[in-house]
Amino acid sequence: MQEGKPLNSKQVNRELLVSILNSPKWFFGALSVLGFIVLVAMSTAGFMINQGFGVTGLNRPVMWGFFITNFVFWIGISHAGVMLSAILRLSKAEWRRPATRAAEILTVFSLMTAMTMPLIHTGRPWRTVYWIYTMPFVPFDYARGIWPNIRSPLVWDPSAVYTYLTSSILFVMVALIPDFAVLRDRTTGISHRIYGMLAMGWQGNARQWKLQIIAGVLLSALILPVFVSVHSIVSWDFGMAVSVKSWHSTIFAPYFVVGAVHSGVSAVALVLIILRYIYGWQNYIRHEHIDALARLLIVVATGWFYFFVMEVLFGFYGREADEIAVRNFQFMVSPWNIWMMIFVGITYFVPVAIWLSRSMRRNLWIMSLACILVNIGMWLERFLIIVPGLARKQLLTFDWYTYRPSSVEWIIIIGTFALVSMLMLTIARVVPLIPLYDIKEGEILRTEIKIGRVTVPAVFRED
Amino acid sequence: MEVIEPKGHGQHAGMWVFPDASVMTEDVGEKTKAMPRPFTTALAVTGIFFVLGIVGFIARAVDDGFDDIAPWGYYMAIFSMVFMVTSGAPLVSLAFRFTKSHWRRPLSRVAELFSIVSILNLLMFIPLMFLLPDIANPEGVVEGELAVRKTIWFEGPIGAPHAWDLVGVLFLTITSMTILWISAKPDMAECRDTATGFRRWLYNFLAGNWYGTKRQWNAQKAGLALLGAFYFMILVFMHFVISSDYAQSLIPGWKDSIFPVIYTITSLQMSLGAILVVLFIMRRWGGYEGYIGKSTFWSASKVLLGVTLLWVYHLFAFFITFWYGRVEIEQNVIKYLITDTYAIIFLLNLIFSFALPFAVLLWNPVRRTAWGPALAGVLVLFGGLMFNIRIFVGSANAAPGSNLYRPFMEHIPAPVYPDVWDVFMVVGGLGAVIFLYLAATKLMPLISIWEMKEGTLYQKWGKFLRGEYLILGKPE
Repeated sequence: MQEGKPLNSKQVNRELLVSILNSPKWFFGALSVLGFIVLVAMSTAGFMINQGFGVTGLNRPVMWGFFITNFVFWIGISHAGVMLSAILRLSKAEWRRPATRAAEILTVFSLMTAMTMPLIHTGRPWRTVYWIYTMPFVPFDYARGIWPNIRSPLVWDPSAVYTYLTSSILFVMVALIPDFAVLRDRTTGISHRIYGMLAMGWQGNARQWKLQIIAGVLLSALILPVFVSVHSIVSWDFGMAVSVKSWHSTIFAPYFVVGAVHSGVSAVALVLIILRYIYGWQNYIRHEHIDALARLLIVVATGWFYFFVMEVLFGFYGREADEIAVRNFQFMVSPWNIWMMIFVGITYFVPVAIWLSRSMRRNLWIMSLACILVNIGMWLERFLIIVPGLARKQLLTFDWYTYRPSSVEWIIIIGTFALVSMLMLTIARVVPLIPLYDIKEGEILRTEIKIGRVTVPAVFRED
Repeated sequence: MEVIEPKGHGQHAGMWVFPDASVMTEDVGEKTKAMPRPFTTALAVTGIFFVLGIVGFIARAVDDGFDDIAPWGYYMAIFSMVFMVTSGAPLVSLAFRFTKSHWRRPLSRVAELFSIVSILNLLMFIPLMFLLPDIANPEGVVEGELAVRKTIWFEGPIGAPHAWDLVGVLFLTITSMTILWISAKPDMAECRDTATGFRRWLYNFLAGNWYGTKRQWNAQKAGLALLGAFYFMILVFMHFVISSDYAQSLIPGWKDSIFPVIYTITSLQMSLGAILVVLFIMRRWGGYEGYIGKSTFWSASKVLLGVTLLWVYHLFAFFITFWYGRVEIEQNVIKYLITDTYAIIFLLNLIFSFALPFAVLLWNPVRRTAWGPALAGVLVLFGGLMFNIRIFVGSANAAPGSNLYRPFMEHIPAPVYPDVWDVFMVVGGLGAVIFLYLAATKLMPLISIWEMKEGTLYQKWGKFLRGEYLILGKPE
């Protein structure tokens, strides 16, 4: 699977560093627009903190709404980095090469964005320090003998997410070293000094390459358990709550992880298509790569759908009145049932129908649409897990209620999307979003086999 | 056949083999016909076990009849073991063919040949169909009991669960055998010219009008893809059905959405383990060293390692959710299946399905051998047996009599140990699988000749910079 013409090293450097060494005209315009949206969202969050939760749609019993939905969504997106980079690197999939860097960086930014959500959701973000620390300079806990509850998933959560964030940054940085060295050699002044520092004396000798490869493989293997643990623990924020019947399901952990991979890989495919378009990287992000991602997504989506069916079916299996009330709310009460149908349709049936066709997989517009649909669907999925469960949590019907998000919540949510886009755009000015050395390695290992009258693309493999 | 070993790359030497395509059909045909003494001895021994199993089954039926499921726990366990291995194996073959992995070629037929053994699933399932208690409470509406017990069939379509379960097992068997037939058709056509007697008739019959035209190859490819997708769906569904009807629904109060997934993962783990064991035996004693490189073991072992980790992850997800909540209904299920009643079996299950294979497969030098992955295969098979005993003996004996219709398990029952007939049935079930598989290897080539020949076109040894390396063709 190698389409396109062979590329030489100089061409790779020239074309892939275009995002760093030259600023296109639209760049600062786009950055300003996104920055403005982020600023509005931040001001709105400040307003909300000042006014209190009365300005949101949150109520009793629906105390988790858009913010927690968005938190789970961005954690989900972050799963693309490891999925693509570590697993495909370990399995030596050739088509991974252009996708890994963007996926890893998307992981870092989406994790950072995700963690802002619970902070905003607390309403009094400064008090989250009590979750973790009990120190003399944090007087409340110290005086009253209140300690962080390590049995709470809310303590496991930040621990897992920050571990994942740290290891993801390390993962990106290790993979970036050879590319920093290339940038060091092509820049001057302060940039040269910064890239020189980041390249850490990289000369590209045999020993350095060996260490870099070993570090990459080791980090790939070590990050996998962290990757799985993060979304599992996020799912246990819900699954451990026995009082919310529809949440207390044993399948939640793998269901969340597969869902996260589904949305994450779709997001990466979308990012790649956008990068191809805005930077003209047709030689690097080729139709075959998007095609391969789409085929991977068929498997992931089908796995996700299987978990979804299990989750719903076993919701009904117990035939317990309180769980049936939630399911009734999800599937029979308007507009929730409409959202439910839309969610299943756009998360599984529509995109998979698209991905089953080779010509559609290779149509970038249709692929973009499919990936956007998946991500809207996966956002809705989290929303439809969280809100109906809480809306029908109580035994007595007079305690049942619903949820309608306020404009404050909408603005903050839109702001998070702008924030991730802005960060991605900014980082594209600083590091190559397609790994130079990985592409060059792929080009070197590329060869052909002649079988009869046909020439078949091939690769050299060390083992 | 001689192995052409690449030179100059110490640790990589022997990882890939390059069989000679021109003599492959004859060579494999000869090996299929051959009946060496160790083979006939194995056939005889497993045949005796098979007979013991039948004796055990008849004795159990005479002693206890088919009215109560409790005495049949070990029979259920061995049925499930056979079902898991034989149903999962064709999927392993289909999955690796779908991903176009070159290293899969020697294991394709080894895996698909389990389809023939899947006839046992059907035969063993028929008595189980009669043993499964009715969904509706025979006592009607009784205080403290459910009128309809909790199953995946709810109020149920007509004939549920018995008839529908049987139809499912029947479909699964037919589909897997059809896949084997379509996949083996080109080989049958190749072999019919050199075979004699019954084999010639059989190959001729199975090959039909196969001449290897482009249209036929395309049809075969499409047929395998379509049937593969269908098989995958029906397999997952049947794992869900069997694990729910014969395990979960028999333990009152056990509502566990992850259990069907654990069941499927265990099945894949066991079938991959069984395939690796067969590959090792073929390579070591069967004369197939020239066809099976270590790369097959190496790559398959990485998948086995992944599946093993997935197994323990799903098990933990189940355990933590039930344990954390401290709900009595869930605590009782944990006590029964994990911490109290079947604690030792669970421990063995955990050690053999996770700890030991993980410890073996963690080491790359071990994964690069043929014996390492095969050893892990033996371990996971034993672990799988413990899994089935724990779950199915536990389920059959969880709720005697009308307790089955209670909302949850109020008292935790004592463990049930096997009697002599149970031992006969377990040994017989395992013997039957091996016996049928051995017999099948004499009917069909154990190596997928067409896939191996295709592989010789795509796998070359080429010069790169100062060394020689493997070149793998990537046609699509």
